[in-house]
Amino acid sequence: MSALDHLTVLLRGVPMTLAVTAGALALGAVLGLPVMLLATRSPWRPVRGAVRLVVDLVRGVPPIVWIFILYYGLAEHVVRLEPLTASILGLGLISSAHLAEVYRSGILSVDAGQWAAARALGLGEARLFVDVIAPQALRIAVPPAATFALNLLKDSAIASVLGVTDVAYQANHEAQTSFDTLTLYLLAGVLYIVLGLPMAVLSRRVDRRLSAGLAR
Amino acid sequence: MGTLPDSAVGSASSPGAESAPGRQHAVTLRSIVKRIGGTEILRGVDLDVEPGTVVSIIGPSGAGKSTLLRCVNLLETPTSGTIHVEGRLVFSGTAAMSRGALTALRRRVGMVFQSFNLFPHLTVLRNVSLAQMRVLGRTRSEADERSMDLLRRVGMEHKHASYPAQCSGGEQQRVAIARALSLDPSVMLFDEPTSALDAELGLEVLNVMRQLAADGMTMIVVTHALHFAGDVSDRIVVMDHGRIIESGDPQAVLTEPSQERTRRFLRAVLEG
Repeated sequence: MSALDHLTVLLRGVPMTLAVTAGALALGAVLGLPVMLLATRSPWRPVRGAVRLVVDLVRGVPPIVWIFILYYGLAEHVVRLEPLTASILGLGLISSAHLAEVYRSGILSVDAGQWAAARALGLGEARLFVDVIAPQALRIAVPPAATFALNLLKDSAIASVLGVTDVAYQANHEAQTSFDTLTLYLLAGVLYIVLGLPMAVLSRRVDRRLSAGLAR
Repeated sequence: MGTLPDSAVGSASSPGAESAPGRQHAVTLRSIVKRIGGTEILRGVDLDVEPGTVVSIIGPSGAGKSTLLRCVNLLETPTSGTIHVEGRLVFSGTAAMSRGALTALRRRVGMVFQSFNLFPHLTVLRNVSLAQMRVLGRTRSEADERSMDLLRRVGMEHKHASYPAQCSGGEQQRVAIARALSLDPSVMLFDEPTSALDAELGLEVLNVMRQLAADGMTMIVVTHALHFAGDVSDRIVVMDHGRIIESGDPQAVLTEPSQERTRRFLRAVLEG
């Protein structure tokens, strides 16, 4: 079998790799927002503390353990999840904790004078957050969020242990029937890098567009 | 956010009988104390500002000037004391203020900051229009029309489409003044508006403020620009260690201060 044949097989895994990555990223991006708001803006100190503790716990457990908990653990007692669903849920959960932290540091880096100016203009807290703070925080959050997305793309390979037919799964599967193991895994590695390229380019472009006219 | 009647200010409670804030005062501060941690930043400050007058607050850094100014629109909450704006009680140390009352207060009091604090992600025009749309409920075209008037007033209409980063410091501060005027306030607070600017850029800002004073705006100005304070103010107030140590006619305070501390401060500023 030639390297080209191997590549053809590996490419069959691309849709699943992208599905796991995009699904987990979307879930994390949406879920991360309320998590961040609860952890920083809640008027009740116990709520802030509890949410932060949960965030630390979620981040402290390895992704593969989370996925085992959701897939095998829940199947035993609660609900039988599809491998794809379990993977997206597990990685999405972890993503929400990480992205909440990315959002939080973005907000913290907005100058205190911006809050004061918006308040002095009579804007309420929710209003000033949406109109003044969030747009500036978002711009600061884009580079770390993109870095996180790239890591997530790589981490998505662990979905293959549940049988999600992604790039890593295809490489593994093919390796068992061919004797070209090294070539296969190297090709898989290159494929992950190539898949990450558009994300890196896109993030750079978004960052540039958002920072137009922003520098002081 | 709908518009709120002005009467919402002070609706939280009625003024105490003994404080008797004259209706003639634009701003009345009584016994303002501000403690942060164990430190007393303000140690019982009284200040009256009549409508249409300019009061400049000078004094060494750390005297509490900016903190006092930020108490007027409640960016800082005093530890105790009372604040009246336009004769209405806005703070009495006890009653918590409603959201509506706070918004109403901030509609009446505009503020200009040392570091400009323009919103960097919005154009000059949108900086001035934002609060009109969000607080007064004006449509974008109504707000933009009013904003262009204000930008013309500060000589910045030609840069309405620029972003703050594309403006000089003096230009940014003039836009910030237009923005602070955008809700048609009756009192303007200036927190060292020229301290971040070199002399030339500072001058263009001071000229706008001069014009504003000539138009009859009530202004409280924390400043190190003694010339401006001497020229434009109706009264100069000197602060040190959280207290007002001297207050009076600008020329009298600047040329023959009664306090040794004031003399020392003025000498230091003039020689520096």
